[in-house]
Amino acid sequence: MDLLSMRESYQRERIMLCFNGPISRSLIEEIGKALRNYLDTQQTTPSAAMDVFAVYIEMTQNIRHYARLKGYDETQASATVAVARDEAGRYLVSAGNLVERADGERLVATVASLAPLDKAELKAAYKQQLRRPRDEEAPSGAGLGLLDMARKASRPLAASLQPLPDGRSFFSLTATL
Amino acid sequence: MDDTTPMIPDLDIPGSQSTPAIQSRWQQGRLAMQGDSYPENSYELFDQVIAWVRDYLATERRPLHLALSLVYLNTSSVKAMMDIFDLLEEAHLEGREVSVTWHYDPRNERIAELADEFREDCSYPFAITPSVAPA
Repeated sequence: MDLLSMRESYQRERIMLCFNGPISRSLIEEIGKALRNYLDTQQTTPSAAMDVFAVYIEMTQNIRHYARLKGYDETQASATVAVARDEAGRYLVSAGNLVERADGERLVATVASLAPLDKAELKAAYKQQLRRPRDEEAPSGAGLGLLDMARKASRPLAASLQPLPDGRSFFSLTATL
Repeated sequence: MDDTTPMIPDLDIPGSQSTPAIQSRWQQGRLAMQGDSYPENSYELFDQVIAWVRDYLATERRPLHLALSLVYLNTSSVKAMMDIFDLLEEAHLEGREVSVTWHYDPRNERIAELADEFREDCSYPFAITPSVAPA
């Protein structure tokens, strides 16, 4: 394994933390703890650190909910997660997972529909989604989490879908904070 | 049964990394929660809290006060907390005395913003108070 080239690519991309593999409830908590500890050492304000943590939690919990909903096994339920900084020092939180192609297309469309909304419109949409009865939530359950991330982000969420040979697709989502 | 006997036992739930500590006191008309809340399924935790609040408000005529020192809530917990605040709002509209005090660390304004969004939908006394984090 070429760990050096992995390391160099992480450094080039300014990735401070990343994970790839089956993601359990306790792993989400442990990586979250590491993330918080790291942010503590980076002169990040408590509010900015909480925003990064919140986006990380919503992304990874959405992936867990989706995998459970689809009855995916451990390998299929794996996630790729990275937290990085861009040139301007903004935090980038990214997560990717396997999805059924139709679900992925729907998710990409949902993310795109949020892009033109300003903060007030996002807040209204968030509050509306919050008041929807529990059993009428989007089948992916992702609605409220996506709105929450979009509200915290400093630019529109970026989503992409890459088809895989087995008919599924790889969905990835990035929030800039 | 005398009228101060709890319909359901008081809650005394220790906190964990992802769940808040919760204490309910039927005799004092008080419910308190402290810490972070981001379990995957918040209703596994909050259903019993919602049941306690509903039961207290249905059984007692005395006031109910919520003392909160919650820090980070995931969206699933926000939804559950909204259900609790809605129960208080319903009771308030029926003339009951209900109130909330939300203590937050003034270094983190996100907590105050979160509390303020809940308060927007409540017409009962809802204080958002900067204070030193409890030990």
